[in-house]
Amino acid sequence: MSDTRLPEPFTDLEPLAAVWALATETERNQQRLSSTMAQIQAFYDTLLPRMEAVLTYLSTFPPEPPDTLPQEVRRLLYLALAMAEITTAVELHQQPSVPAGFEPRRFIPDHERGKGVGG
Amino acid sequence: MQDRVHTHTNGKRWTLDHPELGTGPLPITPYLSAEYFEQEREKIFTRTWMSTGKKVEEIPQPGDYLVLDLAVGKTSVLLVRDKDGRVRGFHNVCKHRGNRLAWNDRGACGAGLMCRFHGWTYAADGRLVGVPEEDMFFDFDKRDYGLSPIATDVWEGFIFINLDPDPPETLHQYLGEVVDLLRGYAFDRLPLSWSYTAEQKCNWRILRDSQLEFYHGKALHQQFAGKVMINKQQPSCHVLDAKLFRRHSMMSFYGDRRNTQRTPMELLMAQFGASFKTFPSARDMDRWPLGVNPTRSKQWFFDIYYIFPNFHLVILSPFLFVAHTMLPETVNRSTWNARGYFPQPTTAAETVTREYNKCLARDVWLEDGSTLENTQRGIESGVLSHYPVQDQELLIRHAHKVAEELLASDGQAG
Repeated sequence: MSDTRLPEPFTDLEPLAAVWALATETERNQQRLSSTMAQIQAFYDTLLPRMEAVLTYLSTFPPEPPDTLPQEVRRLLYLALAMAEITTAVELHQQPSVPAGFEPRRFIPDHERGKGVGG
Repeated sequence: MQDRVHTHTNGKRWTLDHPELGTGPLPITPYLSAEYFEQEREKIFTRTWMSTGKKVEEIPQPGDYLVLDLAVGKTSVLLVRDKDGRVRGFHNVCKHRGNRLAWNDRGACGAGLMCRFHGWTYAADGRLVGVPEEDMFFDFDKRDYGLSPIATDVWEGFIFINLDPDPPETLHQYLGEVVDLLRGYAFDRLPLSWSYTAEQKCNWRILRDSQLEFYHGKALHQQFAGKVMINKQQPSCHVLDAKLFRRHSMMSFYGDRRNTQRTPMELLMAQFGASFKTFPSARDMDRWPLGVNPTRSKQWFFDIYYIFPNFHLVILSPFLFVAHTMLPETVNRSTWNARGYFPQPTTAAETVTREYNKCLARDVWLEDGSTLENTQRGIESGVLSHYPVQDQELLIRHAHKVAEELLASDGQAG
Protein backbone atom coordinates (compact mmCIF):
# COMPACT_ATOMS: atom_id res chain seq x y z
CA MET A 1 0.00 0.00 0.00
CA SER A 2 1.46 3.30 -1.01
CA ASP A 3 1.87 6.16 1.38
CA THR A 4 -1.36 8.13 1.74
CA ARG A 5 -0.13 11.06 3.79
CA LEU A 6 -1.47 14.50 2.90
CA PRO A 7 -0.20 17.95 3.92
CA GLU A 8 -0.87 18.87 7.56
CA PRO A 9 -4.14 20.82 7.14
CA PHE A 10 -5.72 17.93 5.23
CA THR A 11 -4.78 14.80 7.18
CA ASP A 12 -8.48 14.09 7.81
CA LEU A 13 -8.83 13.44 4.06
CA GLU A 14 -6.23 10.66 4.02
CA PRO A 15 -8.81 7.83 3.91
CA LEU A 16 -10.16 9.38 0.69
CA ALA A 17 -6.66 9.74 -0.71
CA ALA A 18 -6.05 6.03 -0.14
CA VAL A 19 -8.74 5.32 -2.74
CA TRP A 20 -8.84 8.33 -5.03
CA ALA A 21 -5.39 9.97 -5.14
CA LEU A 22 -4.45 8.35 -8.45
CA ALA A 23 -1.83 9.73 -10.81
CA THR A 24 -3.56 9.53 -14.19
CA GLU A 25 -6.90 10.44 -15.72
CA THR A 26 -7.32 6.84 -16.89
CA GLU A 27 -6.89 5.50 -13.36
CA ARG A 28 -9.20 8.11 -11.87
CA ASN A 29 -11.83 7.46 -14.54
CA GLN A 30 -11.61 3.70 -13.95
CA GLN A 31 -11.99 4.29 -10.21
CA ARG A 32 -15.09 6.39 -10.94
CA LEU A 33 -16.58 3.76 -13.25
CA SER A 34 -15.92 0.89 -10.83
CA SER A 35 -17.41 2.74 -7.84
CA THR A 36 -21.05 2.83 -6.82
CA MET A 37 -22.86 6.14 -6.96
CA ALA A 38 -23.07 6.03 -3.16
CA GLN A 39 -19.27 5.81 -2.93
CA ILE A 40 -18.83 8.64 -5.43
CA GLN A 41 -21.40 10.79 -3.63
CA ALA A 42 -19.67 10.13 -0.28
CA PHE A 43 -16.33 11.22 -1.78
CA TYR A 44 -17.91 14.37 -3.21
CA ASP A 45 -19.79 15.21 0.00
CA THR A 46 -16.69 14.77 2.14
CA LEU A 47 -14.32 16.73 -0.07
CA LEU A 48 -16.61 19.53 -1.23
CA PRO A 49 -16.61 21.50 2.07
CA ARG A 50 -12.78 21.33 2.06
CA MET A 51 -12.33 22.02 -1.64
CA GLU A 52 -11.90 25.79 -1.34
CA ALA A 53 -9.14 25.27 1.23
CA VAL A 54 -7.54 22.60 -0.95
CA LEU A 55 -7.49 24.88 -3.99
CA THR A 56 -6.23 27.83 -1.95
CA TYR A 57 -3.40 25.61 -0.71
CA LEU A 58 -2.62 24.29 -4.20
CA SER A 59 -2.55 27.87 -5.51
CA THR A 60 0.77 28.30 -3.74
CA PHE A 61 2.44 25.53 -5.79
CA PRO A 62 3.55 25.43 -9.42
CA PRO A 63 1.39 23.49 -11.86
CA GLU A 64 3.60 20.84 -13.35
CA PRO A 65 5.21 18.52 -13.74
CA PRO A 66 3.65 17.02 -10.61
CA ASP A 67 6.81 15.09 -9.76
CA THR A 68 8.47 18.36 -8.80
CA LEU A 69 5.95 18.75 -5.97
CA PRO A 70 6.54 17.35 -2.48
CA GLN A 71 4.90 13.94 -2.24
CA GLU A 72 2.12 14.99 0.12
CA VAL A 73 1.24 17.96 -2.08
CA ARG A 74 1.28 15.81 -5.18
CA ARG A 75 -1.12 13.40 -3.48
CA LEU A 76 -3.42 16.31 -2.57
CA LEU A 77 -3.32 17.44 -6.22
CA TYR A 78 -4.26 13.94 -7.38
CA LEU A 79 -7.13 13.90 -4.90
CA ALA A 80 -8.38 17.26 -6.23
CA LEU A 81 -8.04 15.98 -9.81
CA ALA A 82 -10.19 12.98 -8.84
CA MET A 83 -12.79 15.46 -7.54
CA ALA A 84 -12.73 17.12 -10.98
CA GLU A 85 -13.17 13.66 -12.52
CA ILE A 86 -16.23 12.69 -10.49
CA THR A 87 -17.91 16.09 -10.58
CA THR A 88 -19.83 15.33 -13.78
CA ALA A 89 -21.05 12.04 -12.29
CA VAL A 90 -22.57 13.93 -9.34
CA GLU A 91 -23.53 17.28 -10.83
CA LEU A 92 -24.58 16.23 -14.34
CA HIS A 93 -25.28 12.54 -14.75
CA GLN A 94 -26.37 11.35 -11.27
CA GLN A 95 -24.65 8.07 -12.11
CA PRO A 96 -21.01 6.97 -12.40
CA SER A 97 -20.84 6.79 -16.22
CA VAL A 98 -22.10 9.03 -19.00
CA PRO A 99 -25.65 7.74 -19.62
CA ALA A 100 -25.58 5.57 -22.77
CA GLY A 101 -22.21 7.18 -23.58
CA PHE A 102 -19.48 5.99 -25.90
CA GLU A 103 -17.10 3.52 -24.25
CA PRO A 104 -14.43 5.52 -22.38
CA ARG A 105 -11.86 2.80 -23.02
CA ARG A 106 -12.16 3.44 -26.75
CA PHE A 107 -11.80 7.20 -26.29
CA ILE A 108 -8.04 7.23 -26.00
CA PRO A 109 -6.43 10.11 -24.10
CA ASP A 110 -3.40 10.97 -26.23
CA HIS A 111 -2.33 13.43 -23.52
CA GLU A 112 -1.42 10.47 -21.31
CA ARG A 113 0.70 8.86 -23.99
CA GLY A 114 3.42 11.42 -24.27
CA LYS A 115 2.22 12.65 -27.64
CA GLY A 116 3.40 16.18 -27.09
CA VAL A 117 0.26 17.26 -25.30
CA GLY A 118 0.56 19.40 -22.18
CA GLY A 119 -0.53 18.13 -18.79
CA MET B 1 -22.13 47.11 -29.44
CA GLN B 2 -25.80 46.59 -30.10
CA ASP B 3 -27.24 43.26 -29.05
CA ARG B 4 -28.83 41.86 -32.20
CA VAL B 5 -30.23 38.65 -30.79
CA HIS B 6 -33.83 39.52 -31.33
CA THR B 7 -33.60 40.81 -34.86
CA HIS B 8 -31.48 37.85 -35.85
CA THR B 9 -33.61 35.13 -34.38
CA ASN B 10 -37.04 36.62 -34.92
CA GLY B 11 -38.66 33.82 -36.83
CA LYS B 12 -35.73 33.66 -39.18
CA ARG B 13 -35.03 30.58 -41.28
CA TRP B 14 -31.38 30.82 -42.27
CA THR B 15 -31.77 28.20 -44.95
CA LEU B 16 -34.13 30.47 -46.91
CA ASP B 17 -31.28 32.93 -47.46
CA HIS B 18 -29.74 30.26 -49.71
CA PRO B 19 -32.41 29.20 -52.19
CA GLU B 20 -29.81 27.32 -54.24
CA LEU B 21 -29.60 24.78 -51.39
CA GLY B 22 -33.32 24.06 -51.37
CA THR B 23 -35.17 22.78 -48.35
CA GLY B 24 -35.72 19.16 -49.32
CA PRO B 25 -34.37 16.07 -47.63
CA LEU B 26 -30.84 14.82 -48.30
CA PRO B 27 -30.01 11.39 -49.72
CA ILE B 28 -28.51 8.67 -47.53
CA THR B 29 -26.42 7.13 -50.33
CA PRO B 30 -23.31 9.25 -49.63
CA TYR B 31 -23.16 7.73 -46.15
CA LEU B 32 -23.35 4.14 -47.34
CA SER B 33 -22.06 3.64 -50.83
CA ALA B 34 -18.55 2.27 -51.36
CA GLU B 35 -18.62 3.69 -54.90
CA TYR B 36 -19.53 7.13 -53.58
CA PHE B 37 -16.75 6.92 -51.00
CA GLU B 38 -14.24 6.04 -53.70
CA GLN B 39 -15.37 9.13 -55.62
CA GLU B 40 -14.91 11.26 -52.50
CA ARG B 41 -11.46 9.78 -52.04
CA GLU B 42 -10.44 10.59 -55.59
CA LYS B 43 -12.07 13.96 -56.01
CA ILE B 44 -12.10 15.43 -52.52
CA PHE B 45 -9.59 13.92 -50.14
CA THR B 46 -6.74 13.66 -52.61
CA ARG B 47 -7.35 17.08 -54.15
CA THR B 48 -8.26 19.58 -51.45
CA TRP B 49 -6.47 21.05 -48.49
CA MET B 50 -7.05 18.82 -45.52
CA SER B 51 -6.34 19.37 -41.84
CA THR B 52 -3.80 17.07 -40.24
CA GLY B 53 -5.13 18.17 -36.85
CA LYS B 54 -1.54 18.82 -35.81
CA LYS B 55 0.01 22.12 -34.82
CA VAL B 56 3.48 23.44 -35.53
CA GLU B 57 4.29 23.43 -31.80
CA GLU B 58 4.23 19.64 -31.92
CA ILE B 59 7.38 19.64 -34.02
CA PRO B 60 9.23 22.48 -32.29
CA GLN B 61 12.86 21.88 -33.29
CA PRO B 62 14.53 21.44 -36.68
CA GLY B 63 14.57 17.72 -37.41
CA ASP B 64 11.52 16.96 -35.25
CA TYR B 65 8.89 15.01 -37.11
CA LEU B 66 5.41 13.52 -36.92
CA VAL B 67 3.93 10.68 -38.94
CA LEU B 68 0.30 10.59 -39.96
CA ASP B 69 -1.00 7.43 -41.58
CA LEU B 70 -3.59 8.56 -44.06
CA ALA B 71 -5.68 5.67 -45.31
CA VAL B 72 -7.83 7.98 -47.41
CA GLY B 73 -4.72 9.03 -49.32
CA LYS B 74 -3.31 5.49 -49.33
CA THR B 75 -0.12 6.88 -47.88
CA SER B 76 1.79 7.72 -44.75
CA VAL B 77 2.66 11.39 -44.30
CA LEU B 78 5.90 12.60 -42.77
CA LEU B 79 5.68 16.13 -41.34
CA VAL B 80 9.10 17.47 -40.48
CA ARG B 81 10.62 20.80 -39.52
CA ASP B 82 13.62 21.56 -41.69
CA LYS B 83 16.74 23.38 -40.56
CA ASP B 84 15.30 26.71 -41.68
CA GLY B 85 12.31 26.17 -39.42
CA ARG B 86 9.82 25.45 -42.18
CA VAL B 87 7.34 22.60 -41.74
CA ARG B 88 7.45 20.31 -44.75
CA GLY B 89 5.45 17.26 -45.73
CA PHE B 90 6.63 14.15 -47.56
CA HIS B 91 5.35 10.74 -48.39
CA ASN B 92 6.87 8.57 -45.68
CA VAL B 93 8.27 6.25 -48.32
CA CYS B 94 11.90 5.46 -49.03
CA LYS B 95 12.60 6.18 -52.70
CA HIS B 96 14.82 3.12 -53.05
CA ARG B 97 12.30 0.30 -53.00
CA GLY B 98 9.39 1.85 -51.17
CA ASN B 99 9.87 0.85 -47.55
CA ARG B 100 8.29 2.87 -44.76
CA LEU B 101 10.87 5.44 -43.75
CA ALA B 102 9.92 6.66 -40.25
CA TRP B 103 8.40 3.95 -38.10
CA ASN B 104 7.58 5.91 -34.97
CA ASP B 105 4.64 8.28 -34.89
CA ARG B 106 6.94 11.06 -33.74
CA GLY B 107 10.62 11.63 -33.26
CA ALA B 108 13.68 13.72 -33.99
CA CYS B 109 15.81 12.86 -36.96
CA GLY B 110 18.84 15.00 -36.08
CA ALA B 111 21.37 14.61 -38.88
CA GLY B 112 18.98 12.63 -41.02
CA LEU B 113 16.27 10.04 -41.24
CA MET B 114 17.60 6.62 -42.16
CA CYS B 115 15.61 3.84 -43.79
CA ARG B 116 15.99 0.60 -41.88
CA PHE B 117 16.00 -1.50 -45.02
CA HIS B 118 19.27 -0.51 -46.76
CA GLY B 119 20.29 2.52 -44.76
CA TRP B 120 19.38 5.30 -47.18
CA THR B 121 19.39 8.58 -45.29
CA TYR B 122 17.36 11.73 -45.94
CA ALA B 123 17.77 15.28 -44.63
CA ALA B 124 14.85 17.12 -43.02
CA ASP B 125 14.31 18.99 -46.28
CA GLY B 126 13.78 15.70 -48.11
CA ARG B 127 17.13 15.48 -49.88
CA LEU B 128 18.68 12.04 -50.14
CA VAL B 129 22.02 12.56 -48.43
CA GLY B 130 23.35 9.09 -47.72
CA VAL B 131 23.41 5.91 -49.78
CA PRO B 132 25.57 3.02 -48.53
CA GLU B 133 27.79 1.59 -51.27
CA GLU B 134 26.53 4.25 -53.64
CA ASP B 135 29.27 3.39 -56.14
CA MET B 136 27.63 0.04 -56.80
CA PHE B 137 24.54 1.65 -58.40
CA PHE B 138 24.53 2.48 -62.10
CA ASP B 139 24.13 5.96 -63.61
CA PHE B 140 22.93 7.03 -60.19
CA ASP B 141 22.39 10.57 -58.95
CA LYS B 142 21.12 11.07 -55.38
CA ARG B 143 19.34 14.26 -56.52
CA ASP B 144 16.89 12.09 -58.43
CA TYR B 145 15.76 10.24 -55.32
CA GLY B 146 14.76 12.83 -52.75
CA LEU B 147 11.57 12.18 -50.76
CA SER B 148 8.35 12.86 -52.66
CA PRO B 149 6.94 16.11 -51.30
CA ILE B 150 3.36 16.68 -50.20
CA ALA B 151 2.01 20.22 -50.41
CA THR B 152 2.05 21.44 -46.82
CA ASP B 153 1.06 24.79 -45.37
CA VAL B 154 0.20 26.35 -42.05
CA TRP B 155 -2.68 28.56 -40.95
CA GLU B 156 -2.70 29.92 -37.38
CA GLY B 157 -0.31 27.11 -36.44
CA PHE B 158 -2.52 24.34 -37.85
CA ILE B 159 -0.79 22.11 -40.37
CA PHE B 160 -2.69 21.32 -43.57
CA ILE B 161 -1.70 19.09 -46.45
CA ASN B 162 -2.91 18.67 -50.00
CA LEU B 163 -2.24 15.40 -51.78
CA ASP B 164 -2.63 17.11 -55.13
CA PRO B 165 0.99 17.47 -56.25
CA ASP B 166 0.14 20.83 -57.81
CA PRO B 167 -2.68 22.45 -55.80
CA PRO B 168 -4.61 24.99 -57.85
CA GLU B 169 -4.79 27.37 -54.88
CA THR B 170 -2.77 28.10 -51.76
CA LEU B 171 -4.09 27.15 -48.34
CA HIS B 172 -4.90 30.78 -47.57
CA GLN B 173 -6.79 31.17 -50.84
CA TYR B 174 -8.64 27.97 -50.03
CA LEU B 175 -9.58 29.18 -46.54
CA GLY B 176 -10.87 32.44 -47.98
CA GLU B 177 -12.96 34.61 -45.65
CA VAL B 178 -12.22 32.43 -42.63
CA VAL B 179 -8.68 33.83 -42.44
CA ASP B 180 -9.87 37.40 -41.81
CA LEU B 181 -12.77 36.42 -39.59
CA LEU B 182 -10.55 34.58 -37.12
CA ARG B 183 -7.43 36.75 -37.39
CA GLY B 184 -6.35 37.85 -33.93
CA TYR B 185 -7.80 34.91 -32.04
CA ALA B 186 -5.48 33.44 -29.39
CA PHE B 187 -4.58 30.35 -31.45
CA ASP B 188 -0.91 31.00 -30.74
CA ARG B 189 -1.37 31.50 -27.01
CA LEU B 190 -3.61 28.59 -26.04
CA PRO B 191 -1.66 25.36 -25.65
CA LEU B 192 -2.98 21.97 -26.64
CA SER B 193 -4.29 20.79 -23.29
CA TRP B 194 -6.13 17.56 -24.02
CA SER B 195 -6.54 15.28 -27.00
CA TYR B 196 -8.64 12.16 -27.46
CA THR B 197 -8.63 9.81 -30.42
CA ALA B 198 -11.27 7.23 -31.22
CA GLU B 199 -11.64 4.79 -34.07
CA GLN B 200 -15.27 4.72 -35.13
CA LYS B 201 -16.99 2.09 -37.21
CA CYS B 202 -18.93 4.68 -39.16
CA ASN B 203 -18.75 6.70 -42.34
CA TRP B 204 -16.80 9.94 -41.97
CA ARG B 205 -19.90 12.01 -42.77
CA ILE B 206 -21.70 10.64 -39.72
CA LEU B 207 -18.77 11.77 -37.63
CA ARG B 208 -18.53 15.10 -39.45
CA ASP B 209 -22.24 15.86 -39.12
CA SER B 210 -22.24 15.03 -35.42
CA GLN B 211 -20.21 18.19 -34.77
CA LEU B 212 -21.74 20.32 -37.50
CA GLU B 213 -25.00 21.27 -35.84
CA PHE B 214 -26.30 21.92 -32.34
CA TYR B 215 -29.91 21.00 -32.88
CA HIS B 216 -28.89 17.99 -30.78
CA GLY B 217 -27.78 20.17 -27.86
CA LYS B 218 -31.03 20.24 -25.91
CA ALA B 219 -31.58 16.48 -26.19
CA LEU B 220 -28.23 14.67 -26.30
CA HIS B 221 -26.46 17.22 -24.09
CA GLN B 222 -29.50 18.08 -22.03
CA GLN B 223 -27.66 18.21 -18.71
CA PHE B 224 -24.78 20.26 -20.04
CA ALA B 225 -26.52 22.60 -22.47
CA GLY B 226 -30.29 22.29 -22.02
CA LYS B 227 -30.77 25.21 -19.67
CA VAL B 228 -28.22 27.42 -21.42
CA MET B 229 -30.14 27.02 -24.68
CA ILE B 230 -33.52 28.05 -23.30
CA ASN B 231 -34.66 31.07 -25.27
CA LYS B 232 -38.00 32.37 -24.10
CA GLN B 233 -38.39 34.78 -27.03
CA GLN B 234 -37.62 32.17 -29.67
CA PRO B 235 -38.03 28.74 -28.11
CA SER B 236 -37.07 26.75 -31.20
CA CYS B 237 -34.41 28.97 -32.70
CA HIS B 238 -30.83 28.92 -31.44
CA VAL B 239 -28.90 30.38 -34.33
CA LEU B 240 -27.45 33.88 -33.97
CA ASP B 241 -25.65 33.89 -37.28
CA ALA B 242 -24.76 31.60 -40.15
CA LYS B 243 -22.28 32.25 -42.91
CA LEU B 244 -21.80 29.97 -45.88
CA PHE B 245 -18.62 30.35 -47.88
CA ARG B 246 -17.49 28.72 -51.10
CA ARG B 247 -16.38 25.57 -49.30
CA HIS B 248 -16.51 26.35 -45.59
CA SER B 249 -19.19 27.57 -43.24
CA MET B 250 -19.84 28.86 -39.77
CA MET B 251 -22.72 29.04 -37.34
CA SER B 252 -22.98 31.07 -34.15
CA PHE B 253 -25.23 29.73 -31.41
CA TYR B 254 -27.43 31.33 -28.82
CA GLY B 255 -26.84 30.46 -25.21
CA ASP B 256 -27.52 32.28 -21.97
CA ARG B 257 -24.76 31.22 -19.64
CA ARG B 258 -26.54 32.93 -16.77
CA ASN B 259 -28.84 29.93 -16.94
CA THR B 260 -25.91 27.61 -16.32
CA GLN B 261 -26.47 25.41 -13.35
CA ARG B 262 -24.50 27.12 -10.61
CA THR B 263 -23.28 23.88 -9.14
CA PRO B 264 -20.88 23.99 -6.19
CA MET B 265 -17.89 22.80 -8.21
CA GLU B 266 -18.71 25.10 -11.12
CA LEU B 267 -18.61 28.08 -8.76
CA LEU B 268 -15.33 26.93 -7.20
CA MET B 269 -13.72 26.36 -10.57
CA ALA B 270 -14.76 29.83 -11.77
CA GLN B 271 -13.20 31.24 -8.60
CA PHE B 272 -9.82 29.54 -9.10
CA GLY B 273 -9.36 29.48 -12.86
CA ALA B 274 -10.91 29.73 -16.27
CA SER B 275 -14.26 28.02 -16.48
CA PHE B 276 -15.87 26.70 -19.60
CA LYS B 277 -19.34 27.75 -18.63
CA THR B 278 -18.61 31.19 -17.21
CA PHE B 279 -19.31 33.91 -19.67
CA PRO B 280 -16.20 35.89 -20.58
CA SER B 281 -16.19 39.58 -19.88
CA ALA B 282 -18.59 41.24 -22.30
CA ARG B 283 -16.67 44.50 -21.93
CA ASP B 284 -13.90 43.20 -24.16
CA MET B 285 -16.17 41.95 -26.88
CA ASP B 286 -15.43 44.74 -29.33
CA ARG B 287 -11.81 43.64 -29.36
CA TRP B 288 -12.62 40.05 -30.27
CA PRO B 289 -11.90 38.86 -33.80
CA LEU B 290 -14.75 39.77 -36.15
CA GLY B 291 -15.67 36.13 -36.60
CA VAL B 292 -15.92 35.23 -32.91
CA ASN B 293 -19.45 35.89 -31.74
CA PRO B 294 -19.98 37.91 -34.93
CA THR B 295 -23.30 39.41 -33.79
CA ARG B 296 -21.69 40.48 -30.51
CA SER B 297 -24.59 38.98 -28.65
CA LYS B 298 -24.51 38.85 -24.88
CA GLN B 299 -26.39 35.57 -25.21
CA TRP B 300 -23.61 33.83 -27.10
CA PHE B 301 -22.81 30.18 -26.51
CA PHE B 302 -20.20 29.28 -29.15
CA ASP B 303 -19.30 29.34 -32.83
CA ILE B 304 -18.64 26.38 -35.08
CA TYR B 305 -16.28 26.91 -38.00
CA TYR B 306 -16.27 24.07 -40.48
CA ILE B 307 -13.21 23.94 -42.71
CA PHE B 308 -14.18 21.57 -45.48
CA PRO B 309 -13.74 18.65 -45.53
CA ASN B 310 -12.40 17.41 -42.20
CA PHE B 311 -11.79 20.17 -39.65
CA HIS B 312 -14.08 21.81 -37.11
CA LEU B 313 -13.13 24.65 -34.81
CA VAL B 314 -15.51 25.26 -31.94
CA ILE B 315 -14.81 28.58 -30.26
CA LEU B 316 -16.32 28.82 -26.80
CA SER B 317 -14.57 31.87 -25.46
CA PRO B 318 -11.48 34.00 -25.98
CA PHE B 319 -9.63 31.45 -23.83
CA LEU B 320 -11.03 28.11 -24.95
CA PHE B 321 -11.47 26.41 -28.26
CA VAL B 322 -11.90 22.89 -29.46
CA ALA B 323 -10.63 21.36 -32.70
CA HIS B 324 -12.01 18.20 -34.27
CA THR B 325 -10.16 16.46 -37.06
CA MET B 326 -11.99 13.68 -38.82
CA LEU B 327 -10.25 11.30 -41.16
CA PRO B 328 -11.97 8.67 -43.26
CA GLU B 329 -10.37 5.22 -43.29
CA THR B 330 -12.86 3.27 -45.39
CA VAL B 331 -16.51 3.76 -46.32
CA ASN B 332 -17.53 2.65 -42.83
CA ARG B 333 -14.52 3.45 -40.64
CA SER B 334 -13.24 6.82 -39.49
CA THR B 335 -10.86 8.33 -36.98
CA TRP B 336 -11.94 11.14 -34.70
CA ASN B 337 -9.44 13.35 -32.93
CA ALA B 338 -10.98 15.82 -30.46
CA ARG B 339 -8.75 18.40 -28.83
CA GLY B 340 -9.08 21.13 -26.25
CA TYR B 341 -6.92 24.25 -26.22
CA PHE B 342 -6.98 25.96 -22.85
CA PRO B 343 -4.75 28.37 -20.89
CA GLN B 344 -1.59 26.91 -19.44
CA PRO B 345 -2.02 26.51 -15.67
CA THR B 346 0.19 28.78 -13.59
CA THR B 347 -0.50 27.03 -10.27
CA ALA B 348 -1.41 23.51 -9.14
CA ALA B 349 -4.92 24.82 -8.42
CA GLU B 350 -5.29 25.79 -12.07
CA THR B 351 -4.23 22.26 -13.01
CA VAL B 352 -7.41 21.21 -11.19
CA THR B 353 -9.62 23.73 -12.98
CA ARG B 354 -8.19 22.57 -16.31
CA GLU B 355 -8.95 18.97 -15.35
CA TYR B 356 -12.53 19.93 -14.52
CA ASN B 357 -12.98 21.54 -17.94
CA LYS B 358 -11.32 18.59 -19.65
CA CYS B 359 -13.58 16.04 -17.93
CA LEU B 360 -16.64 18.12 -18.77
CA ALA B 361 -15.62 18.28 -22.45
CA ARG B 362 -14.76 14.58 -22.49
CA ASP B 363 -18.12 13.57 -21.06
CA VAL B 364 -19.95 15.73 -23.61
CA TRP B 365 -17.90 14.07 -26.38
CA LEU B 366 -18.76 10.63 -25.00
CA GLU B 367 -22.40 11.64 -25.49
CA ASP B 368 -21.62 12.64 -29.09
CA GLY B 369 -19.68 9.41 -29.57
CA SER B 370 -22.65 7.32 -28.50
CA THR B 371 -24.56 8.27 -31.65
CA LEU B 372 -21.96 7.45 -34.29
CA GLU B 373 -21.85 3.67 -34.62
CA ASN B 374 -25.54 3.45 -33.74
CA THR B 375 -26.34 5.79 -36.63
CA GLN B 376 -24.14 3.72 -38.94
CA ARG B 377 -26.04 0.56 -37.96
CA GLY B 378 -29.32 2.40 -38.35
CA ILE B 379 -28.67 3.53 -41.89
CA GLU B 380 -27.16 0.16 -42.85
CA SER B 381 -30.54 -1.35 -42.00
CA GLY B 382 -31.83 0.27 -45.16
CA VAL B 383 -34.72 1.95 -43.37
CA LEU B 384 -33.76 5.43 -44.56
CA SER B 385 -33.48 6.53 -48.16
CA HIS B 386 -33.21 10.20 -47.27
CA TYR B 387 -33.40 12.39 -44.20
CA PRO B 388 -34.98 15.78 -43.42
CA VAL B 389 -32.71 18.68 -42.54
CA GLN B 390 -33.73 21.28 -39.96
CA ASP B 391 -32.79 24.94 -40.27
CA GLN B 392 -30.13 24.55 -37.58
CA GLU B 393 -28.59 21.75 -39.65
CA LEU B 394 -27.92 24.16 -42.52
CA LEU B 395 -24.17 23.53 -42.43
CA ILE B 396 -24.78 19.86 -43.23
CA ARG B 397 -26.97 20.84 -46.18
CA HIS B 398 -24.29 23.20 -47.44
CA ALA B 399 -21.49 20.66 -46.98
CA HIS B 400 -23.47 18.15 -49.01
CA LYS B 401 -23.80 20.67 -51.86
CA VAL B 402 -20.08 21.50 -51.72
CA ALA B 403 -19.20 17.82 -51.99
CA GLU B 404 -21.64 17.27 -54.84
CA GLU B 405 -20.05 20.14 -56.75
CA LEU B 406 -16.57 18.75 -56.26
CA LEU B 407 -17.65 15.26 -57.29
CA ALA B 408 -19.30 16.67 -60.41
CA SER B 409 -16.33 18.86 -61.27
CA ASP B 410 -14.30 16.03 -62.72
CA GLY B 411 -11.69 16.48 -60.07
CA GLN B 412 -10.90 20.13 -60.63
CA ALA B 413 -11.02 21.14 -57.00
CA GLY B 414 -10.26 24.82 -57.56
